[in-house]
Amino acid sequence: MSAGVEFRNVVKRYGATTAVAGVSFAVASGTLTTLLGPSGCGKTTVLRMIAGLEAASEGAILIDNEDVTALSATERDVSMVFQSYALFPHMSVLDNVCYGLRRSGVDKTTAATSAQEALQQVGLDGFAQRQPSELSGGQQQRVAVARALVLRPSVMLFDEPLSNLDARLRRQMREEIRELQQRLGLTVVYVTHDQQEALAVSDRIIVMNRGRIEQDGAPRDLYERPATAFVANFMGESNRLRGAARRLDETRVAVTLGDSEIVVTGTIAADGETDIAVRPETVTIDPAPGPAGSLPGRVVKATYVGTHMEYTVETAAGALFAICPRVDRPLAAGHAVALSLAPRGILVVGG
Amino acid sequence: MSRATPTRAVAAWALIGLAGFVLLPWYAQQEGVLAFDWIGGLWSHADSASGLALIAAHNRWWLAPLLPVLLASLAVGFVGGTRRQRGTTLVWLAGIGLAIFWLQALSIGLRGWNAEWLTLTLGEVGGRQVGIGIGATLVLLSLLGLLSLGLAQRGAFGGDAFVAGAMVTVVASIVLFTAWPVLRILLQAFNSSDGTFAPALLLDRLSTAKIWSLRCLTGDGRCGVAWNTLFLALCCGAGTTMLGLAFALIVTRTGFRMKRTLRVLTVLPIITPPFVIGLGLILVFGRSGVVNQALDAWFGIAPTRWIYGFQGVFLAQLFAFTPVAFLVLIGVVEGVSPTLEEASQTLRADRWDTFRTVSLPLMKPGLANAFLVGFIESIADFGNPIVLGGDYGVLSTEIYFAVVGAQLDYGRAAALALLLLAFALGAFFLQRRLVGTRSYATISGKGDSGLPTPMPAGLRRLAQWIALPWAGFTALLYGFVLVGGFVKIWGRDHTPTLQHYAKAFAVESGPNGLIWTGAAWGSFWTTVKLAAIAAPLTALLGLLAAWLLVRQRFVGRSTLEFATMLSFAVPGTVIGVAYVFTFNVPPLEITGTALILVLCFVFRNMPVGVRAGMASMSQIDRSLDEASATLRGRAWQTLAHVVLPLMRPAMVAALVYGFVRAVTTVSAVVFLVTAEYELATTFIVLRVINGDYGLAIAYSCALILLMLAAILLIQLLVGQRRLGRRAAPAPIAARAGA
Repeated sequence: MSAGVEFRNVVKRYGATTAVAGVSFAVASGTLTTLLGPSGCGKTTVLRMIAGLEAASEGAILIDNEDVTALSATERDVSMVFQSYALFPHMSVLDNVCYGLRRSGVDKTTAATSAQEALQQVGLDGFAQRQPSELSGGQQQRVAVARALVLRPSVMLFDEPLSNLDARLRRQMREEIRELQQRLGLTVVYVTHDQQEALAVSDRIIVMNRGRIEQDGAPRDLYERPATAFVANFMGESNRLRGAARRLDETRVAVTLGDSEIVVTGTIAADGETDIAVRPETVTIDPAPGPAGSLPGRVVKATYVGTHMEYTVETAAGALFAICPRVDRPLAAGHAVALSLAPRGILVVGG
Repeated sequence: MSRATPTRAVAAWALIGLAGFVLLPWYAQQEGVLAFDWIGGLWSHADSASGLALIAAHNRWWLAPLLPVLLASLAVGFVGGTRRQRGTTLVWLAGIGLAIFWLQALSIGLRGWNAEWLTLTLGEVGGRQVGIGIGATLVLLSLLGLLSLGLAQRGAFGGDAFVAGAMVTVVASIVLFTAWPVLRILLQAFNSSDGTFAPALLLDRLSTAKIWSLRCLTGDGRCGVAWNTLFLALCCGAGTTMLGLAFALIVTRTGFRMKRTLRVLTVLPIITPPFVIGLGLILVFGRSGVVNQALDAWFGIAPTRWIYGFQGVFLAQLFAFTPVAFLVLIGVVEGVSPTLEEASQTLRADRWDTFRTVSLPLMKPGLANAFLVGFIESIADFGNPIVLGGDYGVLSTEIYFAVVGAQLDYGRAAALALLLLAFALGAFFLQRRLVGTRSYATISGKGDSGLPTPMPAGLRRLAQWIALPWAGFTALLYGFVLVGGFVKIWGRDHTPTLQHYAKAFAVESGPNGLIWTGAAWGSFWTTVKLAAIAAPLTALLGLLAAWLLVRQRFVGRSTLEFATMLSFAVPGTVIGVAYVFTFNVPPLEITGTALILVLCFVFRNMPVGVRAGMASMSQIDRSLDEASATLRGRAWQTLAHVVLPLMRPAMVAALVYGFVRAVTTVSAVVFLVTAEYELATTFIVLRVINGDYGLAIAYSCALILLMLAAILLIQLLVGQRRLGRRAAPAPIAARAGA
């Protein structure tokens, strides 16, 4: 598998501050890789360095195995979908989509044909003559995608493309982007701060924090086997508890929470108190207190959100946030319950 | 690799230089290069020889190093090496070439060595040089082109040859046509009249009561010209900004129905030669003006010279410079995103709060720019103070009298000019402090479909109360001027007549078609031609400089920004003297040509293009540029297809201003015109001096019509910026009536 994009020890400094502190990774061709992290973690800077909009202070950047570190944005075979869409407000939708082709020297009619095709691919046929301001946010987003797509770039970049859309549209758009990427076999680098979005669209996720890569792996690995407390915390909701951990062997650890001891996969440096993350959806709530090995508690908050119930339960190990799919039999606040924790939902994230 | 082929561009530029060196005459030709009488003497005759012939046959050994430089540059186009190595080599070659070029051009003049110590140390040079001609110019351009390519290949300016070329063009032209002449005339401040260096003289020249006296405050005498200038400029800057804002708000944010009329009215003063406003004010307020005549007739109050002094100049400057502020501010007011105002209104802010806390702060850079423009226009203004100032002297008139009076003291003029520059500098830094580096990007890449918020009622009334009477008064003033052209003698004989127009613009049909017998035709056509050449150049260079300043990151940005403002801050009188002083000797011997007039127009008026461009460009979101870059748009394509179309208001402002100022300027060109290239304004000034007011007014009216036509043409050609925003809502009454 060839690398669509490769970073070798890339550093970006702005004066005295270091935005990206020595980052290396490779993005396989035809895959969608997400750069995920909180704002200010350097993910957008990395993306802009791929595009050529920022010059790397150190290191090498390769696109399709060719060193492009010294090339400007214009000279690189990438195109980008901006967070603000950056549609040219004085041009029609068609002119926007044609723009890149025309600049590459494609004649007008050919460009228009390709542009129409691209608009069709994003489901916007019939909108060619509109002005960007006459479109809804989702439609503008599609125009931005079509405009980038039409150039058939080696790499397509998305800079938080969905952050200006409403939740429903966001889900729809992310599915469309993923579908488009797989259908056309595009190499995509995608930046977001939304872990759910990242999990949904990615072949691979690179979690960044403070200019460095925290963890790099498949979505499932990151969610289920976070390497650091930061990743565990950032990837999905989790309860942070303190508990005693005892090393059993190379891969297993016994964790004590309240009265119960649970054996989970993981490693620790030494036995003793440690940080433990518990995924709320792996907590099972039993309305009748009692079964052996369970954690007794009391519901302090119950919230109905349509598809499921959300509970906050006070236990001996601390307050636990739990999700329960049973909406037909909600528990009121004050109800005594027993919690069972599935081993796969318990993550030992460090001493 | 890159799609561009830098090596071919290098070879092309080197070949241009070589062609200029070998095939064309090096020096300027007496009859102009288009006479082609030089062809025969290209080798044999020293005056018309090419550079190559001068070295080989005419003993001009100092030109010899240029040939290997050009040949080596050509070779760089064909040898290998990395891009960076080639770039470094080119930068060195071009740098050496430019150094040699200027060294020889500046040190060897009409009488051999230009300085005595050179003759003493190096002996007689055995040759003399006149101004550079087409051949030398091509070599110079070639070296600058090679320098740009070299810089770009070294990776400067994002490796983009166009950006590097634009930078070199802007910097080189500003150095050559602004910095150099201004520095030469300012150095004169340190020289005694016979040309020896005497810095102590500067202190003498500057520390007189005539400049710094504060006696007008205590009531026993006049204040110094420095205080006068400063006070007038502050009043003018504040006044024009306020009026300009009032007009801009009415035109863009209300349903006011006579918007178009208002637009024309506010543009009228800008297209008026400066002395016409003065003349009009005199027709109204002067001793034989209507106001004084009426007061005399009805109340027996004796006519006064009330208009002559601060109030007269201030009033005239308000009329003259409000339109500039308006042109700057209209783009700014239009650029404020309606969505932000809507957001504010949803945040419990009423219209007034919205205006005060959102719209106005967003306009702050534009307001500061407008103020700066008004301030600098005022201190550089010459026409109004000379006509209306009376006892109220300002620096620019003081400089004028230092040069043209019995004194003919270039040193004193230069010292006063230094003071003016200091004021301009102060305004510049004040503006930077006020505006700072905050971002006010409000035209983003997202479609913006908000409705412009109507102004709060109180503010709307205020704006209308300020602007509408002003507009009315303007109309009145012009009415008088218009009438003045059709009466025999204003104030004495009001018999209607067409004689003034006939005298100026008579056309007879002769045997070979029309004969332009009117006295004004010659200067009229020269003015139109030169202004039409200068305006696009002014706009191009101004917007290019603005684009570099706003969008490119490079060392020396603020220095360049200041340099573009420099020629604006220097009063026209000084620029005119500086140009004559600098360009009547080799190497750039262009005094008396049309070229020097065009150059003077371009470099004096460019700063408005720069300011308008910068104000407008800082409102265009950078992500649009970046989107274009990632879509394969090279820098010049981004400029042409994305930035410029979004900057149409600024483009109109720059074009209009470039044309209009070229037509109306007096102070700078009064030193530069010749019998062959006489301009409308200087022609009119001569008529005024001769007391021929009728003809002067008639000609001025014709000029105003010409410029109106030009402005409409420019607006038509450039068109409006299409942002897809909806227009401001029509007033309820209008909608109900429809």
